[in-house]
Amino acid sequence: VAAGDAVPWQVVDHYENPRNVGSLDRNAKNVGTGLVGAPACGDVMKLQVEVDENGRIVDARFKTFGCGSAIASSSLATEWVKGKTVDEALKIRNVDIAKELCLPPVKLHCSMLAEDAIKAALADYKLKQDPNKEESEKE
Amino acid sequence: AVPPLPRRLTAARPPSLPPFLPPSLPAGRSGDGGGALRPLYMDVQATTPLDPRVLDSMLPYLTACYGNPHSRTHAYGWESEAAMEKARRQVADLIGADSREIIFTSGATESNNMAIKGVARFYKSKKKHIITTQTEHKCVLDSCRSLETEGFRVTYLPVKKNGLIDLKELEAAFQPDTSLVSVMTVNNEIGVKQPIHDIGEICRARKVFFHTDAAQAIGKIPVDVNDMKIDLMSISGHKIYGPKGVGAIYVRRRPRVRLEPLQSGGGQERGLRSGTVPTPLAVGLGAACEVAQQEMEYDHKRISQLAQRLITKIMSEVPDVVMNGDREHRYPGCINLSFAYVEGESLLMALKDVALSSGSACTSASLEPSYVLRAIGTDEDLAHSSIRFGIGRFTTEEEVDYTVQKCIQHVKRLRDMSPLWEMVQDGIDLKSIKWTQH
Repeated sequence: VAAGDAVPWQVVDHYENPRNVGSLDRNAKNVGTGLVGAPACGDVMKLQVEVDENGRIVDARFKTFGCGSAIASSSLATEWVKGKTVDEALKIRNVDIAKELCLPPVKLHCSMLAEDAIKAALADYKLKQDPNKEESEKE
Repeated sequence: AVPPLPRRLTAARPPSLPPFLPPSLPAGRSGDGGGALRPLYMDVQATTPLDPRVLDSMLPYLTACYGNPHSRTHAYGWESEAAMEKARRQVADLIGADSREIIFTSGATESNNMAIKGVARFYKSKKKHIITTQTEHKCVLDSCRSLETEGFRVTYLPVKKNGLIDLKELEAAFQPDTSLVSVMTVNNEIGVKQPIHDIGEICRARKVFFHTDAAQAIGKIPVDVNDMKIDLMSISGHKIYGPKGVGAIYVRRRPRVRLEPLQSGGGQERGLRSGTVPTPLAVGLGAACEVAQQEMEYDHKRISQLAQRLITKIMSEVPDVVMNGDREHRYPGCINLSFAYVEGESLLMALKDVALSSGSACTSASLEPSYVLRAIGTDEDLAHSSIRFGIGRFTTEEEVDYTVQKCIQHVKRLRDMSPLWEMVQDGIDLKSIKWTQH
């Protein structure tokens, strides 16, 4: 690994000082769980959000199987969604995550997976709130 | 005998060198890069530090004795040539060969290129087929691929789950126009030792040349070219505590192996490899071989003990750890372990005080996981979870213990952060999940 590949301190920080590692109760109605990626690809992220009655995200947790950049991306995602409404959180973009963590080009896919994890968690939450509406939308 | 140099021709005293640092220093925070503490070095398959005795042997040729060994007309040349020939003998002695069979090269990559392309091209009018394995070093595989574009046919033998080739499959692979078989002695990623004796017998019986990439083997395990019926062998300096930028190729004289040179020029090295032989590097390679011959038995015993210590400690404390490659037919100093449910690069980042490498895709420029692990049938997620530990001549027990302790600590921590570990603890079968595609 050449000097240019040295892990950015922002990435290392998320591992050394973890924030929001853990799990919420996936059976709770106001918790949305997103599971994205695949073990065969070396990247799996589980991201959970707890939403209050006003549609605001009050808590978030993550667990990740992946490189340092993947861990940092999902960790940062949980930090950013807290305090946002569901619609605001859907606007979080992978490029912002990558910029904040100084991810090199070869690691950009980690930030993309984190964005997918957020969307998957929120989609799961929405589905739980109104499964019938989802069904009719599909048709 | 080389006549002594007249006083007035000797060079001035070289400026004082910085204090010599021992190859391994204690671990500590390495954030500043230039500080006194550096990470522990546990990646000897990638490269090794210079043995102090090798450096000592090289210094005169990097300072006062700077002659070109091919200069026939003066003492600088004669002195340099004598040193080069002594180094050649030292390399030959290590492998049971004759000096005249050793050609200096820039490293094992060049030696592998010479062996494969050189032999194939020389005999191409009658022979067009080559046999090799799927776990060879990239330079061997790429040389073969390049020959395929020239019209040669190559059989890439698969390996069994333990990393060894199946001798029956090798026998079945021979064709009437096979010119060369190339199988590495010790694998650089998983440490397995191929059955070189048996392969040599099979090739000799069929009068097919046998080449072996012995970069990770010589100086560490006994290798004899006559005993093992080897016709060509690649040697690397920087894998055996010698300098980088030099290696050698052994080319058998009886029965004679011919090869088409890759590098044209003034005809040095019997016309097989033109170019000025870099005397200081050749001297270093020779010294490294001689030192390795002396230290081989002791090193092997000590490294075996340390390896056993590492494996036992880790596997007794951490569940779901897989050792990649055959348990028995291996070189002990190369240990490749997969830690299920933990990704390799994240573990390397966590073990920041230890220099290690991984078979994970994230650590390769191509983002593909190790092809060697894929060849032995490792599941892809375990390939992403692999770490290679290298134990060498200068590795201490404290370094092994520190590495083991940190590894156990961080594997546990990363498993606590892993959704896969969580699912397995909940009794979920990961193979039953439909993962999202990417």
